[in-house]
Amino acid sequence: MTDTRPLSRRDFIKSQAAIAAAAVAGVTLPASLLAQAQDAAADPDIRWDKAPCRFCGTGCSVLVGSKDGRVIASQGDPDAPVNRGLNCIKGYFLPKILYGQDRLTRPLLRKLNGRYDKDGDFEAVSWDEAFDVMAAHWKQALKRSMKENKGKSVDELTSRVGMFGSGQWTVWEGYAASKLLKAGMRSNNLDPNARHCMASAVGAFIRAFGIDEPMGCYDDLEHADVFVLWGANMAEMHPILWSRLTDTRLSKPGCEVHVLSTFQHRCFELADNPIIFTPQTDLAILNYIANHIIQTEAYDKAFIDKHVQFETATTDIGYGLRPEHPLEQQAANPGVGAKMPSSFEAFAKQVAPYTLASVAELSGVPQENLLRLAKAYADPRKKVSSYWTMGFNQHTRGVWVNGNLYNVHLLMGKISAPGNSPFSLTGQPSACGTAREVGTFAHRLPADLVVRKPEHRAFSERVWQLPAGTLNGKVGYHAVLMHRMMKDGLMNCYWQLCNNNMQAAPNLNEESYPGWRNPEVFVTVSDPYPTVSAQAADLVLPTAMWVEKEGAYGNAERRTQFWREQTDAPGESKSDLWQIMEFSKRFTVEDVWPPELIAKAPESAGKTLYEILFANGEVDKFPYEGKITDARGNEYRNHESQDFGYYVQKGLFEEYRKFNSGPDIIKKGHEMAPFQAYHEARGLRWPVIDDKETLWRFREGYDPHVAAFNPDVEQGDVYFYGNANGRANIIFAPYEPAAESPDDEYDLWLCTGRVLEHWHSGSMTRRVPELYRAVPDAMIYMSKDDARKRRLRDGQMALIKTRRGQIKARVETRGRNRPPNGLVFVPWFDANRLVNKLTLDATDPLSKETDYKKCACRVERV
Amino acid sequence: MNICSCVVHTHPGTGADVAPRLTALPGVEVHAGTAADKLVVTIEDAGDSLAADTLGQLTRVPGVINAVLVYHYGGDDAAVAAG
Repeated sequence: MTDTRPLSRRDFIKSQAAIAAAAVAGVTLPASLLAQAQDAAADPDIRWDKAPCRFCGTGCSVLVGSKDGRVIASQGDPDAPVNRGLNCIKGYFLPKILYGQDRLTRPLLRKLNGRYDKDGDFEAVSWDEAFDVMAAHWKQALKRSMKENKGKSVDELTSRVGMFGSGQWTVWEGYAASKLLKAGMRSNNLDPNARHCMASAVGAFIRAFGIDEPMGCYDDLEHADVFVLWGANMAEMHPILWSRLTDTRLSKPGCEVHVLSTFQHRCFELADNPIIFTPQTDLAILNYIANHIIQTEAYDKAFIDKHVQFETATTDIGYGLRPEHPLEQQAANPGVGAKMPSSFEAFAKQVAPYTLASVAELSGVPQENLLRLAKAYADPRKKVSSYWTMGFNQHTRGVWVNGNLYNVHLLMGKISAPGNSPFSLTGQPSACGTAREVGTFAHRLPADLVVRKPEHRAFSERVWQLPAGTLNGKVGYHAVLMHRMMKDGLMNCYWQLCNNNMQAAPNLNEESYPGWRNPEVFVTVSDPYPTVSAQAADLVLPTAMWVEKEGAYGNAERRTQFWREQTDAPGESKSDLWQIMEFSKRFTVEDVWPPELIAKAPESAGKTLYEILFANGEVDKFPYEGKITDARGNEYRNHESQDFGYYVQKGLFEEYRKFNSGPDIIKKGHEMAPFQAYHEARGLRWPVIDDKETLWRFREGYDPHVAAFNPDVEQGDVYFYGNANGRANIIFAPYEPAAESPDDEYDLWLCTGRVLEHWHSGSMTRRVPELYRAVPDAMIYMSKDDARKRRLRDGQMALIKTRRGQIKARVETRGRNRPPNGLVFVPWFDANRLVNKLTLDATDPLSKETDYKKCACRVERV
Repeated sequence: MNICSCVVHTHPGTGADVAPRLTALPGVEVHAGTAADKLVVTIEDAGDSLAADTLGQLTRVPGVINAVLVYHYGGDDAAVAAG
């Protein structure tokens, strides 16, 4: 039907849409369209406000349009420096992720005959009943732990309770969780799903630079001459950054793109130097580049002399499996992270065997491609930015391979300068802001402090107003170890929030599922949707998500961004923050602390953990006026503040700032602005000093800390102040083989990963009908030759098997991913085909991050 | 009713060739940008083909390097107002 009216609402919206796109592209629109748009005023009924996107770690800002209490529109935020008005295809669905038909609205508890029973069916219960049952289990477990810890020193404490959090938590959710577990319950069994995602990147930052997170920022995308992708499919996983990279590649003369992967994917469309390598040989390729730089004397001698220290890693460190596994038994130094002093000459000798010929042979990459790559790094006139994500991080030598790349950049001095940037991309919106900066890992405290160091614990105890000796000095259970401990009955209460670990964790058949269903274990899952995890839990708590709460995320370039609560959550759903704080009311200090600790602070006797941790005079000191008002006069709700009676988010953030911005902080370099500044700005990149963000760390002229640490610094020079001697570490690490490689019985490599349409385990995106329809099922991507050899045709159902399990999926030989012969790729978003029944729980022994990219499988006709 | 807009990057010099390939898709209009190889595109629901489905097809069109979304409207009222 043709619309005959002069300007329909549809035309109006369409013209607005075109204008927004034209502004972003820097393209002029035809006058007729512009005139049409000017006929109508902006829609007065929609309230627009900014929020960072809910999905990946890029940290795009979107404008969220709400009407009548419902989010109905979104637009790339034109004022956002990250995405400059752009939005990726997942951004299209942001409003829709809130409205999946199976949103959970009430707590659900497994019951039989009216009582909790692990073998019962889910029944809706009140929040009171949910927390009563949960708290009873937790108190019992805590009591056992207190008994077991009697007489032990603070460095030896263990705990039977644990929490599995998220790089999708808001900053204050992570902070509140850390307080509840580490300060309240004295359990360091707090780990985030970011363990599966970027623990290796963290390990390498700390080993090389003594401080976490990238030195550069996204501005490098416009400054670099050469881009190198190491195990990152940016075109599908970070489309906005890929768009900025594409713009530079197409507009800057001489700009080139090198793409390395174990299979061909969409980034290869833009690759000037496409490289497919045999899994695990990235370690060797990087050592070859270092060797090339040394052999051709291309290295920056002055930079090395002044700013670098050489070390060498302990080798033959095992594969992070259970100690009784044969691979651990065979390893000379399982789990040993010690580094030994070295020198430039020793390093040169160590990389010397990594010749062009030998590495070409090992990696399967033609010599000319390797040489072209090495020359790009070695050319002093070219600015090189390297990007990586899971290809590097999910690696049994993840810390090493991250480090080997830093070695290359440091040899050339190509670091901490516009366009010269080794840059670790992140997969989650606040893996940096929450998991890393707040420190929700089993070994960490806020702002890069660690539980092992007495002075770090003492500082944290002072900020948190705890009696001296409260904090536990023993590193807790990491993500994979938690499942082993649950299976073994040594951890009895587990609370998973804001992620889907039953689907995400490796080796589901042998570790995750037996752990969760162990009769001695009580599992709580907080989620907006009935995920695989929720279905395997004993208690499910309905969660307010994304803009249903006030939040803060920190992205991959150190940018902290805030948003306000835009809409109500459905039913009785409450944010994770509310759940954590409310749960803390169920415990008194007597439930969690031994009498001798309480005796040190007699005023704490009889108090609840809520009173100790949250109503402590700091977190509860900012009043809540019944609404939040922005600078334009728009009003917003805040459901946590409404319930607790003070501005909860502000109180938590300002207390957290004592760790990173107070006058007496132990580790400088993470400074943040006061709370309200982030509600005004499109995010700020820390360190924020005198209200100014920092774009390139460690370089004078950009980072004020450099002159503060080293008053003699020359103009524009670097100083790596994360390490006491001001130097970055080049650490030699060799090539060592993968934990499991193809053999006669299991003759293919299995690599798992993501697709554009579904974000991670698909909890949100699979509930958007359009996305579900676009990519309903996970496929087995394989080469035509490998399919033919197994008498398989495109689209045919096949069985994929490993030593741990099997699943069925259809074969795809012509899709967006084109594996070489000998490797298959299966995405992990599909809850009906759980690829983690196949994977091995081999981890990097240093970072404890699982290698989801390499195990041996076989594929058969059904 | 879904209406969205996006910017489509094409291989250098091919903007004018790619534009008609895009307009052949259901609900797609190309408004500008052929000379710059950055096409300003709107997509709306067209019969059984939802805007989202079409959006997903853009990157599979020959000559397209990248397609990024800028604006999305998903309210119920546009269809009504448009009659």
